[in-house]
Amino acid sequence: MELKRYIGRRLVQIFVIFFVILTVLFLLFRLAPGDPVSRMVDPNLTPEDAALLIKEFGLDQPLLMQYLYYLKNFFTGHFGFSFHYGQPVVQIIWNRLPNTILLFTTSIILSALVGIFLGKIASWHKGEKTDICMTLGALVTHTIFLPWLALIMIWVFAYKLGWFPITGMITVEIWLDPQAGLWTKALDVLYHMTLPLATLFLIHFGSYLLIMRSSMLDTLKEDYILTGRAKGLSEKVIRDHHAAPNAALPVVTSVGLSLAFSINGGALTETVFTWPGIGRELVFSVSHNDYPLAQASFLLIAIVVLLSNLVVDILYAYLDPRIRY
Amino acid sequence: MTGEIQKVTTVTTDIDLSERFHLISRFLEGWSIYKKSFLGKIGLILLAVFALMALCSSIPPLIDPMYQPMSGVDPEIFKATGPSIRHWLGTDFMGRDIFSQLLTGARIAFMVGVSAAFMSVFLGTAIGMIAGYTGKFMDTFLMRLADMIMVMPSLLVLLMLAALFGQLSIWFIVFFIALFRWPGVSRVIRAQTLSLKHRPFIEAARVAGASNLRIIFRHIMPNVLPLSFLYMTFQVTSAIIIEAALAFLGFGDPGTVSWGMMLQWVWKTGHMFKAPYWLLPPGICISLITLSFYMLGRAMDEVLDPRLRKEGTTD
Repeated sequence: MELKRYIGRRLVQIFVIFFVILTVLFLLFRLAPGDPVSRMVDPNLTPEDAALLIKEFGLDQPLLMQYLYYLKNFFTGHFGFSFHYGQPVVQIIWNRLPNTILLFTTSIILSALVGIFLGKIASWHKGEKTDICMTLGALVTHTIFLPWLALIMIWVFAYKLGWFPITGMITVEIWLDPQAGLWTKALDVLYHMTLPLATLFLIHFGSYLLIMRSSMLDTLKEDYILTGRAKGLSEKVIRDHHAAPNAALPVVTSVGLSLAFSINGGALTETVFTWPGIGRELVFSVSHNDYPLAQASFLLIAIVVLLSNLVVDILYAYLDPRIRY
Repeated sequence: MTGEIQKVTTVTTDIDLSERFHLISRFLEGWSIYKKSFLGKIGLILLAVFALMALCSSIPPLIDPMYQPMSGVDPEIFKATGPSIRHWLGTDFMGRDIFSQLLTGARIAFMVGVSAAFMSVFLGTAIGMIAGYTGKFMDTFLMRLADMIMVMPSLLVLLMLAALFGQLSIWFIVFFIALFRWPGVSRVIRAQTLSLKHRPFIEAARVAGASNLRIIFRHIMPNVLPLSFLYMTFQVTSAIIIEAALAFLGFGDPGTVSWGMMLQWVWKTGHMFKAPYWLLPPGICISLITLSFYMLGRAMDEVLDPRLRKEGTTD
């Protein structure tokens, strides 16, 4: 019951934040130098089509009415037409969303799990070679400049060694082949995903490892660990069942706090590996002055960030009952 | 009457002096702890090297105008070539010297990192102290604002602004990074202020009739400044990364040469498989400068937090 109320409160907060973002974006589009109409209507359209679009977005109306039109269009999913692709924007970003979610969530979950696991081991061997190597490795991978790491990965593993494809998400031949089963297709995506996933993983797991390590060291000093030892529990039980679950809580918090950072990294990775996700679409549309697409991608990314924040909060409330009260 | 006033002033200078000595001794004490940190020493050495690079960045163009990082072109080479005696790290696609670009990049990285970090820490400290000290409505409002900014991916917001307002100048980028990075600092400072607020010395100051402003600046600020200072090192790191990433995507200030922009040139002109001498240096520099600021921060963390010191023999 308490959990439900907590989630409800967070939902309201998220909705308010999103509403503010929506409004700020609207104002920015109107305040920026240049003609606001040219940002929603492709300059290459015929005058009749342009007039139709202007009417649909209420661009000939006063500002307040425009805002209402904007809200209505947002909630009914009308974002206009992409200048570059000539298709409805919603269709494009709807196609890209699963790709981004696939890469993003897999990388976060993988790096958090590995970070927690390795951090546990590092803290257990505190001061020994294992610990020093892990801590240093985490520090170094964590601070590598992401796009550069991505370029190096492509250079080494795709170009020099030829193990993985250089770009893209699928091999077109396999997907056009009617004989190819679901399994082959999934393997194909996995094959393309390996390098971007490895890049994001390398960047992220370090900070989780460091947080887990120091939180584990704190937890190990708690009285209940001493009690466990006094009861004669084996060290492995104390480490894995008593200390680690509690020590992992700060990692969950840090996943939530670093989500915005991770999304930045995700967009960079998608761009370098030409992974067809929303982040790449945003970068692409900004470089090509495709305003409707940029606006919609940005809003969708904001929604993704806010909802992932909510997921992390729920997870945290589930893991730590104290937070609910 | 006058005698009394004079007495008061001498007393205050005494306090000032002792405070100054206290600061110096605190600094020395901190330094002796800092020195023991292995990572801290490496970080400082690396930073010294980068600072030297930044300081030397104006020397190559003086030797020969072809070493101008942005406009200088070797009259005999108009394409990317490998390292030679004339060009220690080779030339880029237009025949510009990569080594002098690298030196200028160090200057830009310091400029962006330190100024953005200073501004964001200044904002964060001020807002954190105000939120923590005043409490009530102001606190809720400022912290909700901080939450809101914190969930925004700053790089993508800057991209949107670049789309709407055209090319962003380097100072606009710095300013915006600062505007997006203060919430993390203000949260910590607010928590610290809250814990200070009810300490006896604050109560004493209030009873003695000190105004709110005086309490904030005179009594709370000195106690939160070490924390702000610590956060500054982490802010430098993220500011450098955001600027580099923005430049890498092609939205940097076209009037400056930054390491991110050098990477963008390698990538966009299709030289990344052909010219490792060009691909490697800027990436290594960005990574190392962030690493060294990070190590600096961790070592300072140990100085400020005695708890870390005892257990952190290996850090």
